[in-house]
Amino acid sequence: MIKCVVWDIDNTLLDGVYLESGQRLPAADPAMTGVLAELARRGLLHALASRNPPTAAGYVEQLTGHRFAAAQCGWGSKSAAIRRIIAELGVAADAVAFVDDDALERAEVSFALPQVMVLAPEDMAEAVSWPAFSPPVLTEEARRRGELYLTRRLRQEEAKAFGGSRDDFLRYCQTRVVIAAAGTADLPRLHELSVRTHQFNSAVAPVSEDALAELLAAADHRVMTVRLADRYGDDGLVGGCVISTGRATAGAVEPGRCWDVPLLMMSCRALGRGVIDALLAWLCRAARRAGADLVTVPCVVNSRNVPLRIALAGAGFRAETAAAGTAAVTTTAADPGGLADPGGLADPAGSGPVKVAVYARRLDEPLPDLPDWVTASGP
Amino acid sequence: MTDLALVGDQLREILAELTGDHGMLTVPGETALLRDGIGLDSLGGTILLTEVRRRFGVDVADEDLNLDSLATLGTLAAFIAARTDRRI
Repeated sequence: MIKCVVWDIDNTLLDGVYLESGQRLPAADPAMTGVLAELARRGLLHALASRNPPTAAGYVEQLTGHRFAAAQCGWGSKSAAIRRIIAELGVAADAVAFVDDDALERAEVSFALPQVMVLAPEDMAEAVSWPAFSPPVLTEEARRRGELYLTRRLRQEEAKAFGGSRDDFLRYCQTRVVIAAAGTADLPRLHELSVRTHQFNSAVAPVSEDALAELLAAADHRVMTVRLADRYGDDGLVGGCVISTGRATAGAVEPGRCWDVPLLMMSCRALGRGVIDALLAWLCRAARRAGADLVTVPCVVNSRNVPLRIALAGAGFRAETAAAGTAAVTTTAADPGGLADPGGLADPAGSGPVKVAVYARRLDEPLPDLPDWVTASGP
Repeated sequence: MTDLALVGDQLREILAELTGDHGMLTVPGETALLRDGIGLDSLGGTILLTEVRRRFGVDVADEDLNLDSLATLGTLAAFIAARTDRRI
């Protein structure tokens, strides 16, 4: 699924070349501007990568009426510009499409970043109807996504100039994280997160709204939401988790010694803002308060969710080791299912087996701190 | 200069670029990378590992499930040096 389209400017979004147009600057290319508007409506992000001075980005914004989530204008290679956009927006390379009229530029990007989908402008009119450009769920938050990335641009510019520690910066931004039990109204957004998040997603497959509703009603499960805001804007619901807190027997729930977390996810929009660390600290603390002595997170192991695994390691989680001293990794055959069917863990791409490791955290050791800007309610 | 020292210096360069802090160029090998040390968060750690894979061809996240190699600059350098052998 494509989350971000990186556009070239000359002869792509513009009907001409910015620097070669003399007094009369080129007009917008109507076909490409139309595609841009349609994809923005679907919640995709847009960025610019151009061999032009930064004023070209301002000109394109003014012309198209679209504020881009990131803009890289300069004389370096297009692949380097796209790498910076990927880091800035926190998207995976295979969630990026790049549109450029120049075949050489397209070849350079294809070679340096083989995961990026590379397209010529003439492909774009058709690409709009491809499934990769059609997100299945579209919530109000998805529509606002482009706007939210803009505030992110501002925040990052300030962070570069700030100089203090990350914690100081998060305080300076008046970061507020609220962790609370989910309600029925949160389910579409939680489902959307389970479809769209990859860098911070422990599950093998997306979880349907129906499955989430069942978990919400189950006495032995908790569905939690995480909301984020700071003085730059309100990001809304950016993450969540599902917790199995014990076993339900004969109508009563027997408190478990172990909290198992079959789903842990966060939007990459919240990347670098202390949210995942706060959620993991809260999980450990809430589990201990409830009398558990262990938290386990079964987590798919792939190249995309490295940020989640770094956060787990940072919070003291370890992949459980087998007797031989090798990490306990189970390999599961692809079989669509999701959480309602724990036996049916599937690779979203449906291609081959998936590696899953169980990360565990003992609660009799010192627990990670919960910053004072986190408010929590619920179990 | 040994491979290990070379790898360590390249990691210092990556960290200096990543943090914008030139003090990183002389940071000792026993400095912790996450949290209390250099203070990389999951974003910083991911960018570091992406750059490591690009420069050394070593996919740390794939080979080291617990990411123990991210403990200190020295442990990460040793992990990479052991896998690059004479390739650098």
